Amino acid sequence: MRILVIGAGQVGATVVEALHGEHDVTVVDLDPGRLTALSNRFDVATIEGNGASRRTLQEAGLLDSDLMISCTSRDEINLISAIFSRNLAPETSTIVRTTNEEYLEVWRERQLDVDFMVSSELETANAVSRIIGLPAARQTDVFADGQVQIVEFDVVGRNDGDGIVGVPLREARIPRDSKVAGIIRGDRMIIPRGDQTIDVGDRVVIIGSPDAARLWGETLSADKRRLDDIVVFGAGRTGRAIVRALVDQGLRVRIIEPDPKRAKLTAAQFPNVRVYQATGFDPEFLDRERIGQSRAAVFVMQDDAKNHYAATLAKLHGVSFTIAIVHQAASSEVFERAGIDVAINPRQVTAEEIVRFAHDPRTRQVTMLEGDRFEILDVTVRPESEYADQPFRTMPIRGALIGAIVRDGQAIFPHGDDVLRAGDRAIIFTESARATQVEKAL
Amino acid sequence: MARLTRARLRRLFRRESIGVDVSAAFDLVGAVLLYLSPAYLFPAVVALLYGESPWPFVIAGIVTAAFGAFLQLVATGREFASPREGFLVVALTWLLIPVFGALPYVIAGEGVLSHPLDAYFESVSGFTATGATVVSDFGQLSRSLGMWRQFTQWLGGMGIVVLAVAILPQLRVGGRQLLQSELPGPTELERLTVSIREVARRLWILYVALTLVLIALLTAYGRLGLDDRMDLFDATAHAFTTVSLGGFSTQGNSIAAFGSLVQWTIALFVVIAGVNFLRLFRVFVQRQPRAVTRDDEFRLYLLILLFASAVLLLELMAEGTFGFWESVRHAVFQAVSIMSTAGFATTDYTAWGPLATITLLGLMFIGASAGSTGGAIKVVRHVLISRILRRELERTVHPEVVSPIRLNRAVVDEKTLEAVLAFVLIYLGLFAVGSLALVLDSFRADVVLTPFEAMGAAAATLGNVGPAFGFAGPLGSYESFSGLSKGVMIALMWMGRVEIIPIIVLFTRQYWRA
Repeated sequence: MRILVIGAGQVGATVVEALHGEHDVTVVDLDPGRLTALSNRFDVATIEGNGASRRTLQEAGLLDSDLMISCTSRDEINLISAIFSRNLAPETSTIVRTTNEEYLEVWRERQLDVDFMVSSELETANAVSRIIGLPAARQTDVFADGQVQIVEFDVVGRNDGDGIVGVPLREARIPRDSKVAGIIRGDRMIIPRGDQTIDVGDRVVIIGSPDAARLWGETLSADKRRLDDIVVFGAGRTGRAIVRALVDQGLRVRIIEPDPKRAKLTAAQFPNVRVYQATGFDPEFLDRERIGQSRAAVFVMQDDAKNHYAATLAKLHGVSFTIAIVHQAASSEVFERAGIDVAINPRQVTAEEIVRFAHDPRTRQVTMLEGDRFEILDVTVRPESEYADQPFRTMPIRGALIGAIVRDGQAIFPHGDDVLRAGDRAIIFTESARATQVEKAL
Repeated sequence: MARLTRARLRRLFRRESIGVDVSAAFDLVGAVLLYLSPAYLFPAVVALLYGESPWPFVIAGIVTAAFGAFLQLVATGREFASPREGFLVVALTWLLIPVFGALPYVIAGEGVLSHPLDAYFESVSGFTATGATVVSDFGQLSRSLGMWRQFTQWLGGMGIVVLAVAILPQLRVGGRQLLQSELPGPTELERLTVSIREVARRLWILYVALTLVLIALLTAYGRLGLDDRMDLFDATAHAFTTVSLGGFSTQGNSIAAFGSLVQWTIALFVVIAGVNFLRLFRVFVQRQPRAVTRDDEFRLYLLILLFASAVLLLELMAEGTFGFWESVRHAVFQAVSIMSTAGFATTDYTAWGPLATITLLGLMFIGASAGSTGGAIKVVRHVLISRILRRELERTVHPEVVSPIRLNRAVVDEKTLEAVLAFVLIYLGLFAVGSLALVLDSFRADVVLTPFEAMGAAAATLGNVGPAFGFAGPLGSYESFSGLSKGVMIALMWMGRVEIIPIIVLFTRQYWRA
């Protein structure tokens, strides 16, 4: 497939990284430095120019492309390039990244002629809200309209009699409709067999129904209470999208925003949310408003260093669970090493969403875990696949595991006797290196 | 010294140094007067029907028209655009129209109304829809003059200026400011999606429709024998003063002259007339009942009415003068009538105990809804002030909290809140000054007036309620006040009607400066 990517920023680079291996990728950007950096890392063609210029698009080979991904940081550029693309090459699919939820709404109402639209803010907000909905979860993702949930948990401590930690999996009391897809121990990933045990310090990847995921969260979480009273630091567009998602979950939310204008705007938008006009770096303020008593804090300020500092300060004041939004790719690791529980990179999240759409047409959805070491694929089984009509018991394990299948719109969590049929959508946990192989096999 | 003053005056009135186009304002006042003059035809026709002399009205009408035309001739009719002149127009209109409205009283020369000051007091009380009267012997009043009294309240209730905005072509531009300073309450809170002319038109359509319905109802009661004392004349007279929340009656004992059915009906229409007319229009004409049921102001309006009725009922039951259902009727009617600033009475409430009278005095400060025909502070301002207070309390605990004040879920601009606070403070200040002036003047003029009665009279005139306590109660009259006191109360009614600010601002230097 020929793919044209407009914008070589963080999102563009992540998209390119995921797609360059199997596709012919051409990247357009105004900044020659970025293009050079990208072409040094990957085998891609680069064109220096404005993505909203018709001539540049033609030069970049839009007419022969199967897919155009507009993922600059500017909404209007992305939209204009999509409009040009639709006019010049009606056959080319278009993906547009937007920061404006209104555009997204218009697109959902089919008023914008774009094939796929992604909003970093909304994706980030959903990611945060999923994590807060599941205590102890590090990363979560949903498949098949929310029927299947993939969750990554930290196993922090042994709870006596939970029937999971330290017990061989075949004897462990695993919640119904769920499966341990992988165990990450240090740098190793284990696709578990029945005699495998989960130990303290492991990180487990669970595939299961939302109910089962909640049960897992409750079992593995040290703190059994539901996370209520969430404090959000920073009320920019992403911050407000997160607040909206949390409020929609019925959680009590407080916001801290230093800019008076923005604080006012936010207070006007959310009637039942308490908005403080304060920096969040003032220990006296944190103390006075009992920020330490909140169950979780989300840091959505513009600057990674500020988020880092504020999160550490909040931890000092007693906030047990902290989620930080990172803007620099390198910050994720720093944050997690520094004790911040979850770091979310909006650009990474957006790129994932784009890659899901851009992948093999049979593949509906892809999620990357642990950076990009593991992937979760959502693949439809071909009739001529060697695995079709085989019971799960007899399938060989080749560094991959089928966690769930979707048959006629219904999610099934298969047991050994169940049979994989052609046309099923299989949700597969695999190492990224084997992803292509797995896709081909099915 | 004298020369200096004269020099200053000259400087003040040199046209280019004045920031207000006085001439244009006069031109507009002239136009309003000209449009008022046909109104005199109505009482003249009544006079002919009852075999009385129509001349007082004919003469007054001609004088009014002539003066209006004169003003228009003298003043240079410029395109009226600046909102600044709006204040002057509103203030002048409400000062001048009652002067011409008082002419029939003086010309007819019936009883107390033949004295110019008393006639002017009655006329101001009429046009501002207050309902304070100097008449005590209603038997002396001719039919036509009685109807003119009622009619002035109807003309003033929705506001002649609003009518002018609806029909005068000059007001196509500056109308919004005029309407804003004319309509009671902070109506800028209402998001108007139609032209200002359309707003004025809607207000009058609803106003006329409500009046006609009430006339029909009350007349029907009389015809069907449900209340023998009600005829077309009284039905019309009382419909005029009910819908305008004026409170004048053709009877010496107000609505007590009629049966309980009429009393309940009038109470219902008083409650309706106390609702924001812009919202009523949406309910009745555009079939959006939510415009009212979802309105914060309307909810508090009903809540206060219910609560006040309950308090009055408690007092009445404790006194045991009336049976239960009669107590309910009097309690509800009086609470509704005083709070909405209509000022009707079904019984002499001055005889009630202290809990009831103090409640009634308190109600005089509440008022009806913004955009209604009622006076006083208005319920919406109470809504906002209670929310401002609640926010202040929250801020003492959480100094950094940002919490915008909302009304009907929309955020209210901080400037509007400041204006509301300022208005209430000025209102209370004016009430205090007025009460004090009445007390002091009662000593001077040797009138028996307790401080409570003075406060009642000040609150009743400033709030355009009408009857107060003591001799100025619902069955009494304001006749016994000295001339100076009447002057003070004329000023209070005048300022209360236009909501003070448009008049106070005329006394500031910034207003007149370019």
